Amino acid sequence: MEIELNDAELVRLIGCGDDREAEAELFRRMAPRIRLYGLRHLRDEHASDDLTQQVLITTLEALRTGRLREPEKLASFVLGTCRMTVLNLRRGTERKAHLLEQYGAELPVAAQPAITLDRDLLQRCVQGLKERERTVVVMSFYDEETGSDVAGFLGISEANVRVIRHRAIRQLRECMGVAR
Amino acid sequence: MSQDSGRPANCANPIDAIVLADYWLAALPAAEEETLEEHLFTCDECGARLREAIALAEGLRNLAREGSLQMVVSDAFLRRAAEEGLRVRQYSPPEGGSVQCTVTAEDNILIGRLAADLRGAERVDLSICDERGVEQSRMRNIPVNPSEGSVIVQESITFAKAAPTSTMIMRLLNVEEAGDEKLLGEYIFNHTRSLPGPGAW
Repeated sequence: MEIELNDAELVRLIGCGDDREAEAELFRRMAPRIRLYGLRHLRDEHASDDLTQQVLITTLEALRTGRLREPEKLASFVLGTCRMTVLNLRRGTERKAHLLEQYGAELPVAAQPAITLDRDLLQRCVQGLKERERTVVVMSFYDEETGSDVAGFLGISEANVRVIRHRAIRQLRECMGVAR
Repeated sequence: MSQDSGRPANCANPIDAIVLADYWLAALPAAEEETLEEHLFTCDECGARLREAIALAEGLRNLAREGSLQMVVSDAFLRRAAEEGLRVRQYSPPEGGSVQCTVTAEDNILIGRLAADLRGAERVDLSICDERGVEQSRMRNIPVNPSEGSVIVQESITFAKAAPTSTMIMRLLNVEEAGDEKLLGEYIFNHTRSLPGPGAW
């Protein structure tokens, strides 16, 4: 029988004891969200995988020992743990080795398949942008320049850069058939 | 075991793809970013849309790395390309002058640096002409900073590697409001083919 569980119920089940199915559900539910957070803040797939593993271990440790006092706030707890872990990673103070040794073998975390775009279509779509739009999106996404840097290069305002970037992204999404 | 997790099957407040792209670029104000992250940790539908935004960003990065886009770029772009280990071939013909050029199999990025006095220019077009000076294509209203004194143009390396020995003339034009065009600079690229291929298009 299929059991529908919300976050709070999941937390309580894990806290009650050795419920491997509930723990697996926690991993399945939270791993993709943690990984996205990691990609955004660490800009590296391997580092994101490491973050996912580390945050899941920390969360599991907290749930098993009943340290999450408001079970309905599981998502906030995991997000907070992500933020702390990324800060710690940046400071170089890692508990990773110890935690991995303790829990690592238990983690059945599978990476989400990456989305791949039609390269030739994307190239046609990018070439279809206006010159200014093309330069702004490449400066933003490839050079990873800030709006302020792009504005300085083009001699226009940051607000104007934002408008051009947004227009270009909308047009690219439409051209690629992903606009919703 | 399935889940609902507080996650709506259909998100009641889906985050706009543009906002997600700005989030990826770290271009959101801190408070807005925090709120968005809280949403992403309860909504896999918006997470899927963020993955689309990331895929688009990665696609754009890969295209830029391939050097196959014809576009105006910045010095920061060239620095980034060099940091990534890409081989940049760059030609800087003097205004009104010419340069001998080629590309090799090892080159990744092909750049023309066009010096011109851009002060006072209203709208700048780049006209790309054949050896007779007949326009073949035009990049309209290119992004320029009048204080820079030059325009850095990337030619598609894919095109250049396939091109036979030939001459290309680039002209920077100031297009005035009434439609009149004033030449800002002309640059001649004498391309010699160094890769095997047909002698003509």
